[in-house]
Amino acid sequence: MNRLRRFLRTPEAIAGALILALLAAMALAAPMLFPGDPQAIAGPALLPPFQDWRLPLGTDRLGRDVLAELFHGARTSLAVGLAAAAAALLIGAVVGTLAGFAGGLIDEVLMRITDAFQTVPSFLLALALVSIVGPSLGAVVAAIALSAWTGPARVARAEVLSIRERDYVAGARVIGMHPLEIAFREVLPNALPPELALSSVIVAAAILTEAALSFLGLGDPNRVTWGGMIAEGRTVLRTAPFLSIVPGVALVLTVLGVYLAGEGVVESTAVRRSLS
Amino acid sequence: MSELTISRRGLLAGSALLLASTALPTIGFAQTPKKGGRLVLAADSKPRNLNPAIVASNGVFFISSKIVETLAEASFDGKDGLEPRLALSWEGAADGLSVTFKLRDGVKWHDGKPFTSADVAFSALQIWKPLQNLGRTVFKDLEAVDTPDELTAVFKFAKPTPFQLIRNALPALSSVVPKHIYENGKIEDNPANNAPVGTGPFKFAEYKAGQYYRLTRNDAYWGKDEPYLDEIVYQVLPDRTSAAAALEAEEIQLAAFSAVPLADLDRISKVPGLKVITKGYEGLTYQLVVEINHRRKELADLKVRQAIAHAIDKDFVVKTIFLGYAATATGPVPKNDPQFYTADVPTYPFDVAKANALLDEAGYKRADDGKRFALKLLPAPYFNETKQFGDYLRQALAAIGIDAEIVNNDSAAHIKAVYTDHAFDLAVGPPVFRGDPAISTTILVQSGIPDGVPFSNQGGYKNAELDALIVKASETLDTAARTELYKEFQKKIAADLPLINVAEWSFISVARDTVGNIANNPRWAVSNWADTYLAG
Repeated sequence: MNRLRRFLRTPEAIAGALILALLAAMALAAPMLFPGDPQAIAGPALLPPFQDWRLPLGTDRLGRDVLAELFHGARTSLAVGLAAAAAALLIGAVVGTLAGFAGGLIDEVLMRITDAFQTVPSFLLALALVSIVGPSLGAVVAAIALSAWTGPARVARAEVLSIRERDYVAGARVIGMHPLEIAFREVLPNALPPELALSSVIVAAAILTEAALSFLGLGDPNRVTWGGMIAEGRTVLRTAPFLSIVPGVALVLTVLGVYLAGEGVVESTAVRRSLS
Repeated sequence: MSELTISRRGLLAGSALLLASTALPTIGFAQTPKKGGRLVLAADSKPRNLNPAIVASNGVFFISSKIVETLAEASFDGKDGLEPRLALSWEGAADGLSVTFKLRDGVKWHDGKPFTSADVAFSALQIWKPLQNLGRTVFKDLEAVDTPDELTAVFKFAKPTPFQLIRNALPALSSVVPKHIYENGKIEDNPANNAPVGTGPFKFAEYKAGQYYRLTRNDAYWGKDEPYLDEIVYQVLPDRTSAAAALEAEEIQLAAFSAVPLADLDRISKVPGLKVITKGYEGLTYQLVVEINHRRKELADLKVRQAIAHAIDKDFVVKTIFLGYAATATGPVPKNDPQFYTADVPTYPFDVAKANALLDEAGYKRADDGKRFALKLLPAPYFNETKQFGDYLRQALAAIGIDAEIVNNDSAAHIKAVYTDHAFDLAVGPPVFRGDPAISTTILVQSGIPDGVPFSNQGGYKNAELDALIVKASETLDTAARTELYKEFQKKIAADLPLINVAEWSFISVARDTVGNIANNPRWAVSNWADTYLAG
């Protein structure tokens, strides 16, 4: 409770939390508010927004309801963002902890692999992966995770390097705990807070990467995605700009919300650390 | 029988009237063309091989048809829809074993050497027949080309070949390239494939990768006073949305091949100084087709195919996806074809209830979740419209309980998946009708085509009766009888649905008012533009 109060101290954090809550509500409510296929043809094509109360945001080139697509798109964006970030954090934390705790040759090898991944521009890596495996939601998540785990790995390693010299780790060694057990039960949990601070950046980047992949036609074509909606709207940008603007604004707000909430988390943990 | 004759005559008279009416506006607007000027236009594709004798495709013709000429060009009012280019006349022997071409006198290649019958013989035997994507089929029985004198070329065929087919093939398949440049070394590796040398009104000047192609006036062109333009520059604009902006900013004067998206046409037609032209592509009709993999048990059932045909609202497709710039299709020959089209075929009006009933009848009942079975749908990525139709088809199939999963691929992967690996259930394809069903249409349904041949029957469809009809038509010399056989062909396809023809469309040009003599033949965008001019 205390932590939540500390989190909500800054206006940025409140704004971020509000946006995220709204987004989560949109994603959760989508199947209730817009049951059935969001890609079903619902009305005349290219209906501008605010003309018909049943289709408040108008329709796209095939006559699909933009509002329904927006709500269902929120599901895809959030699902991909969270899943990819979770996977990236998991891979990063494991690799970083192993490298930092083991040291020596293992550290060298794991860190060079991390370097190798870092030298390839992450979007290019995702692009290559998806075009090889074929566009599907799983492939997109895997591709984003694979290109985003290097940051958490480096952060985790740095934390672990300092934690492993602490007394309680030495103590665990003395009582004969298995090194792996020490690494993952004693060290990793204490290395997590800075990881979590990094998570907001990763979620935001993942949502943007997913949108960019969909924009380039490499998203899952059987799902509504905001990036795909922008790409669809681009061909009629001059005649029906709202088709690109609506999902574009949603994307900006989402990324902004994630960043602001992330900032809030960083602030609150920073305060806690300085107090301790 | 007598009824048939009357209807055919009626049709011919009707099409003649239509042809005549298309010629009227050009006469009405006739004014003296102005000489000089540089035409800048949008190009979206960047073909690497510019040799139209090897790659007979519109992307190549768009640029190289101004440089390399064919024996004849399509025409609105010429006899048999043709107009002389390098050949002045053509005549088929009654036995179908030879065609004699009389060639134009005094024509020079861009390098100054004279054009002779030897060049025609070389192009036909060394390039069209063995190397050209379309010529391989049409000229497969070409045995020799006799050249009794410098201006006569006699094509000799091993088997009787319908003269009508050769005639219809001339505009697209008969690009003549110089023998003296191609006779040494491997033809595919000749540098002239990237910097073509021809007899046309324009010479190839330069290509800056990713920027532009530049053609300059051929001062020694055979046409009197032609060409009018000094230069043609193809500005490479890979982004389709930028062509409209470039036209409005007067950076380019012409955007052909629907470089301006259909959705922008309504707005751009109101911009002063710009005109939207829907004519000039009559000979380049694309067909929107649902390709079917007959290896799938469900799709091998005619009732299921009929149900799919009934589930597609063709009027919606034309109105919403093509914004009216298309026509609904009834079969494998487009409605605008003056020679072969027949409307007398089974049709499949939009009727979801009937489609559902047909599927129930076929034994594919809806499961508890409302779905009957699932399919993989591969829309071809070449056009926005094919991709959008893929999205539409998914919804149309959902309405009859078929769960279609869309698989998007890039061009190369799509061609491999559909035509080599057969990894599809339904595909959306845009085949081209090239004036004669034997050129590139019968191959879409004929059986026995090896795996990997793109834009052919790779759906595993086999119909002995239809195969026999195709063979018979390819051997029938009499034009009327041959035309009749292709009408039968259309009926059989519409009845058995080896594929589903949905719509037919062509392209739109947008030009500044100053560009003259636009769209004055049915293949205008890929013709030689000798008479195109810039006023004011």
